[in-house]
Amino acid sequence: MKTNKSSAMKKVLVLLIVLSLVLVACGPKDGGKSNTGTSTNAGSDTDNGSATDDSSSAEIEKPEKITIMVDGTLVTKANGRDAFKAEWEALTGIELEIIQPDHDAYTDNLGQVLASGDWPDVMLLNSAYYAGYAEEGVLWDMTSAYDNSELKTRVKDQALVDGLKIGGSLYGLSPSRGNGCITYIKKSWLDNVGLDVPTNYEEYVEVMDAFTNGDPDGNGINGDTYALSSAGLIGEEIPFINYLPEFYQDAFPSFYINENGQWADGFVQDNFIGALERLRDAYQAGYIDKEALTNGTSDVRNKFYEDKFGIFTYWAGTWGTNLKTNLEANGLDGELIAMEPIEEVGAYLERQAPTWVITSQAENPEAIFEYFFETMLDGGLGQKLFTYGAEGTHWSTEGGELLGVTYEDGQFHMLENMEKAGTLYTKNHIDPMMALTNFTEFDDPGILSVAEEALVSAKTFGENSRLVELVPSSDVMSQYNGDLVKLKREIVANVVLGTRTIEEEMQRFEKEGGLEWSQMIVESLNAK
Amino acid sequence: MKKRKITTFDYVLNIFFALICIAMLIPLWKVMVDSFDLRTAYGMKLWPEKFGFDGYASVFTNPTLYRPLLVSTVATIAGTFVGLTLSTLGAYVLIQKDMPGRNFFSAMLLFTMIFNGGLIPTYLVMNSLGITNTLWVVILLPGLNVFNLVLMRNFFEGIPRSLFEAASIDGCSPMATFFRIVLPLSKAALAAIGLMFAVAYWNDYTTYKIYIINSDLFNFQMKLRSIILGSDLPTATGSATENTVRNAATMVAIIPFMILYPFAQKYFVTGINLGAVKE
Amino acid sequence: MSSQVEKINPDKIGKKPLSKRIYEHRWYYLLFSPVLLFALTFYYAPIYGLRYAFYDYKGIKEPVFVGLANFEKMFSMQGFWNAFTNTLEISLFKLFLTTFMSIIMSLLLNEIFNLKFKKISQTIVYLPHFMSWVVTASVFALIMSPSQQGLVNALLTNLGILEKGQEIYFLGSSKWWRPAYFFINIWKETGWGTIIFMATLAGISPELYEAASIDGASRFQKIKFITVPALMNTIVIVLILNLAKIMNLFESVFVMQNDAVMRQADVLQTYIYTQTFNSGALPNYGYTTAVGMVKSIVGGLLVVICNIASKKIRGRGIV
Repeated sequence: MKTNKSSAMKKVLVLLIVLSLVLVACGPKDGGKSNTGTSTNAGSDTDNGSATDDSSSAEIEKPEKITIMVDGTLVTKANGRDAFKAEWEALTGIELEIIQPDHDAYTDNLGQVLASGDWPDVMLLNSAYYAGYAEEGVLWDMTSAYDNSELKTRVKDQALVDGLKIGGSLYGLSPSRGNGCITYIKKSWLDNVGLDVPTNYEEYVEVMDAFTNGDPDGNGINGDTYALSSAGLIGEEIPFINYLPEFYQDAFPSFYINENGQWADGFVQDNFIGALERLRDAYQAGYIDKEALTNGTSDVRNKFYEDKFGIFTYWAGTWGTNLKTNLEANGLDGELIAMEPIEEVGAYLERQAPTWVITSQAENPEAIFEYFFETMLDGGLGQKLFTYGAEGTHWSTEGGELLGVTYEDGQFHMLENMEKAGTLYTKNHIDPMMALTNFTEFDDPGILSVAEEALVSAKTFGENSRLVELVPSSDVMSQYNGDLVKLKREIVANVVLGTRTIEEEMQRFEKEGGLEWSQMIVESLNAK
Repeated sequence: MKKRKITTFDYVLNIFFALICIAMLIPLWKVMVDSFDLRTAYGMKLWPEKFGFDGYASVFTNPTLYRPLLVSTVATIAGTFVGLTLSTLGAYVLIQKDMPGRNFFSAMLLFTMIFNGGLIPTYLVMNSLGITNTLWVVILLPGLNVFNLVLMRNFFEGIPRSLFEAASIDGCSPMATFFRIVLPLSKAALAAIGLMFAVAYWNDYTTYKIYIINSDLFNFQMKLRSIILGSDLPTATGSATENTVRNAATMVAIIPFMILYPFAQKYFVTGINLGAVKE
Repeated sequence: MSSQVEKINPDKIGKKPLSKRIYEHRWYYLLFSPVLLFALTFYYAPIYGLRYAFYDYKGIKEPVFVGLANFEKMFSMQGFWNAFTNTLEISLFKLFLTTFMSIIMSLLLNEIFNLKFKKISQTIVYLPHFMSWVVTASVFALIMSPSQQGLVNALLTNLGILEKGQEIYFLGSSKWWRPAYFFINIWKETGWGTIIFMATLAGISPELYEAASIDGASRFQKIKFITVPALMNTIVIVLILNLAKIMNLFESVFVMQNDAVMRQADVLQTYIYTQTFNSGALPNYGYTTAVGMVKSIVGGLLVVICNIASKKIRGRGIV
């Protein structure tokens, strides 16, 4: 207990000095965010140098700097973002500032950054925010910039761009398709029960029955498996039904545009009852994993790899290969068939990809469109950069051996993932199988490095899918939709689990105001 | 320590705790087994099927996990220091019953526990101070913890008045009394509350999530969460060892405090605070 | 040895003039200044944000004054009230349950004779706190799985309580969700809660126990008359302080709730979360602030009420 006051003070002082040195060293390397007080429509101070912010001017002056805000879908710092940035800057001659929050925290950070008044020039938004911000005037109208651009001529499918229009105006672009889920079936399981790939619901039920009550995994025991599993009975995000399309078929639990071109709520349509019945019957028969209600996506995948079930509706594209590889790593036959949608489903649903937008505070938005958007989809070096990453960091054409594979000189191949040793990079921001525009200046360099299964599943999906409509935002929706969604999901769960009957729940839906909210929201959507 | 007879109660108690410990360990055991198991599986196993250190290797050699660990360590140490300083100073002042304004200060602090200005206003204030996106905000913002401060005050109130009187008679200034009497007699409290601060800082990810954009300044928990949640992304690679890495990272987050607690526990021995009273 | 005996009541002594007392305590004000600075900077500076409860604020444009509209909207939604009552029920029960269990465990831990075993037990029971809720939920979903793979169900079928094929879907059943939730919470938080009680127990003078032994007190009597009263102060403070936070319940519920148990499992924070992120529209910070205000008021009321109760019963509160 001889703590001497002065020696205690000395220790404290030393500690403080050391700490402040450490903190200074650990401070942000790139310029920290500039201070702004409260949120007002302050002029953006991120962009400078460009004299023209008058949209009627024909001369587009090159900006000195562009600030973008993006989530984890672009390579992160740990994965060579600096190399990407350097190559982009070399290509365009413009300084690029990248604000990239943690992927999980992206939407929160987005809200905060906007509230602080210091808006970036370009942002990546999900469909709900895209619609909402467009409504609030946060986004720059790029309809004319797009229509007059060279980029438009090379777009593979105009419908993808048209799907982003709100009230006839375009506020953003997605460089790739949104992708969706396709149904994979284990070939070995089909062979073991002697059935073919189902083409309609009746055959599908037959397959499910065989997978559940037969011995599809060949271990001699009947009934220790089930047909399929999913993470939740109804999804949390659009398109909601992506994990169980065969049951929902043409029913949709949320808002869509009907044959009359009007908005309607799929939940209250007659065909939704059929969907509920199919789900319920399949669940009660044991075809669907009992724990589908509480499964997380990794639980489902793990069960799949454990050979507990044989039909898996999951993301098309690269997951086609991932699933196969993981099955084989567990000693199972990994061959999967990416099946075409059954008759009653018609087409798998594709969701809206995250959209790049230009904020209304950006100075010189036309220039930003030209130098950022057009570069990203230029069919050449810019697109290559956004698709595969930077040379020497993410891909290379040098010959040599990498992870057991020998490459020749000049052969394009991806490099080892810096964060996950033992795996290769597959892409940067744009999935090569789903880009909006093709490579025109040269052949797609990396398409050969994409595995066969991924290509097949992506192609099958692409040929058999339709885009879900973008739902505009409204105040009525913001007030009631949260509760409406909750009620709908509860009803689906109760019906499928068998705790309540469909009639009871539909009555309850009306009694608790669900019907009213739904009608109000539909009205507000149609009023636009 | 007087030796005393070991009774049946002691045996029963020990068996009881042995059972409790085993029960408590079951979920942890699953995480541990999975962290060594290279075969992805769903289900409880007693031992890993395909033993391998890949998960841990990934955590420790991977440069992108290395730095967050460092950030976590620095922030935890600095933060615990800040937290203890504020709670001990605050508690010490709040036990001065005849200080004018004491009740006011007390109420003022408790008020902050109940009412909060909200995410955006706090963010804007931090922004205007210029500390967002730096380590300052993660160290300072959680520093004032009124819960811990009140607990500390509770401990300080257990120090006999006679000691304070004796000190002031001896001409000790408040600062001196603080360092020479209050702190040394509060070892158990300092250990307990210091531990609580350390754990809070180590586990903190919400502050990082909100205020830090620069990935160089992410802490270990942030990284851990993105490993656990990120593997579900449609764009993930879903390698076979991802499960292992997840569980290994979870274990690594637990281990430091598994080791630290026994050290803090030595301050929880009965009678540690006494001795001074026998003056 | 307690300070009760020597407490000096300033009211009995002639009060000195205010300015003199302030001067006498000048060093204390200085010592308090960092605390004050922190409170002002980090808590009081942003407090203006509370006014957003009366505005419509999306974070993009200037907030628009709407008076009590947010509150009207809030109170008119059945979902809100459901979440509100759930929060109170779940949170209060959880608080008392885990505090009670922590106390019992602390008392028992304190009685372990073998020091090494005591330390090991202490460490093991507090480890669950360090497992994040996300991982905890996932592991317990497995343990409580409605199949033979779930430990709980396997145990129940082996003991003959359940038939095979009749496994209980604990987390998916409206009947069992809350018990399962509380069970998991006990697992996770009991050991952690013992820390503060163990520290308090360390402050009890062994002389008291010796004196009691001499008087012939049994082990249980010692616990009842010495240990527990010594803990009472800490217990009351821990309870009251935690009451201020009970409306903030979020993560533990969020990771374990699912569609089938919304009636029982939706709490205010998860309700707000759904409103903010699943409504398909932009978040309205004014609305979330308004709900936050309601939460704070309820928390504050609980603290005040319990504080008053504590003053009446025990003669002292926490202010």
